[in-house]
Amino acid sequence: MSEHDDLSFGCPFARLNRRRFLQGLGVASLGAAAAGLSGPAVASQQSGEAEVTDAPTSAVTEQSHPFHGAHQQGITTPRPAVGMLVAFDVLAPGRAGLERLLRTLTERIAFLTSGGTYEQRDQRFPPVDSGILGPTIAPDALTITLSVGESLFDGRFGLAAAKPRHLQRMTSFSNDALDAARCHGDLSLQFCANTEGTTIHALRDIIKNTPGLLMVRWKQEGTVPVMAPHADGSTESARNYLGFRDGTANPQADNRKLMQRVVWVDDANGEPRWAEGGSYQAVRIIRNFVERWDRTPLQEQQAIFGRQRQSGAPLSGGVEHDEPQYSGDPKGEITALDSHIRLANPRTAESQRNLILRRPFNYSNGVEANGQLDMGLLFIAYQADLDAGFITVQKRLDGEPLEEYIKPVGGGYFFTLPGIEEGDFLGSSMLAAS
Amino acid sequence: MSLPRSLFFAASAFGLIGLNVSAHAAVAPQDLVAPITDYKLYVLDNLEQFTAHSREFTEAIKAGELAKAQSLYAPTRVYYERIEPIAELFADLDASIDAREDDYENGVQDADFTGFHRLEYGLFKQESTDGMAPFAERLMSDVEDLEQRVQELTFPPEKVVGGAAALMEEVAATKVSGEEDRYSRTDLWDFQGNVDGAKKIFELVKPLAAQEDPAFVERIEQNFSSMEATLSHYYVEEGNVASGFVTYDKVSDADRRALVGPVTVLAEELSTLRGLLGLN
Repeated sequence: MSEHDDLSFGCPFARLNRRRFLQGLGVASLGAAAAGLSGPAVASQQSGEAEVTDAPTSAVTEQSHPFHGAHQQGITTPRPAVGMLVAFDVLAPGRAGLERLLRTLTERIAFLTSGGTYEQRDQRFPPVDSGILGPTIAPDALTITLSVGESLFDGRFGLAAAKPRHLQRMTSFSNDALDAARCHGDLSLQFCANTEGTTIHALRDIIKNTPGLLMVRWKQEGTVPVMAPHADGSTESARNYLGFRDGTANPQADNRKLMQRVVWVDDANGEPRWAEGGSYQAVRIIRNFVERWDRTPLQEQQAIFGRQRQSGAPLSGGVEHDEPQYSGDPKGEITALDSHIRLANPRTAESQRNLILRRPFNYSNGVEANGQLDMGLLFIAYQADLDAGFITVQKRLDGEPLEEYIKPVGGGYFFTLPGIEEGDFLGSSMLAAS
Repeated sequence: MSLPRSLFFAASAFGLIGLNVSAHAAVAPQDLVAPITDYKLYVLDNLEQFTAHSREFTEAIKAGELAKAQSLYAPTRVYYERIEPIAELFADLDASIDAREDDYENGVQDADFTGFHRLEYGLFKQESTDGMAPFAERLMSDVEDLEQRVQELTFPPEKVVGGAAALMEEVAATKVSGEEDRYSRTDLWDFQGNVDGAKKIFELVKPLAAQEDPAFVERIEQNFSSMEATLSHYYVEEGNVASGFVTYDKVSDADRRALVGPVTVLAEELSTLRGLLGLN
């Protein structure tokens, strides 16, 4: 088995792809990259010698994203196929313990996201890692994004004075049925990669390296459907488990000026100086009642969202990325006034203040007692101002017709720490400021 | 690969299998003879107590003395929890003595469900000794069987030394969550029993471990202390472990977290104890 792994590591296309990726081809290359994933069936057709249990191969395991910089990875980074959000309670004793935790996390994230070979220990000791990816790990487009919750700023670590201005404990909205076991946390880690093996390996590495410092509070994994690339190189937004494209109206992540306004915190808005370059992370676990949705007439589904299901185009006309037109439709005869997209983003000058960068994944957990599927959306969004961003948007959505088909059950608000330069550790500016 | 141990040491002494020799292999096999012997005495002593307490407990059930049986449930189990690394070597008895309803597809109603937790369900959930006599008798005969088998057992060093970590894994998996004694809520008794058992093993090999890695020994001791300090908040009588523990629902969320930290560190650190002592 290990020889086969080595073969795929040595694949020249993988190296080529990594170079292209680092050159910042961005979204377009991601589509092609994701399509580089192939199942065992494809592999067997190509080689004619594959065994049933051979690992499926991928040409994109060498993709990597830079860890150091003004901002953390995994926010404006094109979203890969697999995501996982893990919330933790911090067990570390006192400030010194917290610093040890932050240094350890920084060191592990730097290693895991760039890849490398694990030390092999004497066989009489437990091995240093889980081994699920073999002795040498490839980055596989892994990003790990560290954020802190409101509860970290309580009395335990003397951080109260450094709390970001808008950081708060998530409270229940009108349609929520929050499960305490899946809410909040002192800290969150967002793992994203091309494949699930990579995110799970990374989580287990971090747990193994932080005994006595961290305790998992809750975890939600998700995926995004992978598509074949379009012949003309164009891309489209991925679909959620309601069958609709999700994220069409996202602000463009490669527009630095726009990201500076929408996503990144700066010290102009009464935020502590240390928080500059960070962002607010809103996480929501939103159950979808998919059986009921699948029994709903298409025109009603489309009226609820305000978009065509097939093309993603707004009901006001055009193609997916055309802006919805509401000015000639004051009564909502074309796009209902309470449709999801019109409430979420009314496209007024005022609502420009409420833009958020969405980066969701679809989740599928199992089966409810009633035999219905437990699946939905792992909603993750980033914004420079949590109150003006997610909280305002969600308040506008309260009572929307879509609520009949969805039920938020968990999540939390976190502050994503600013990026760091080499030699520094995540959260160092936060510790220095208090 | 599985050379007999003596052969392994002879072979490694001559450099025949140098690659496999631990950097920490300074502990000679004979150094472990005394600790293992002491440990066997500890286990036999606890087993003797376990048998005596089990007899009292099961007699109370058979006599229909509900309150007495309830009060004897936790103090009896403690002896078993201390010696679990050895008791678990007999999987059939471990299942019939200490399995939980979750281990059976049909839960409490499952015909194979016997032992302490079946009695716990009767005594604390149904609050009755009705129909419990057969379970009490079965438990007593299993306990006597266990005592007999352990007396005849040669203690494998790797099971003894590995037992310290195994006990902390028990705590991490089922004690911290409060699912072990869900009807009696006496989880802290079991918790303390596992900790006692792990600490005993550690104390016996501590001089050997200290030769290899003094900092390791210090970390273990620190974490045992901080765990026991948290547990001590929940003695029935302040400062008196013999007075027993309050019910697990009284443990604050902050203290549950304060227990998880040292438990996880101890599980992680003690998992290296066998390697540190050069055991295969």
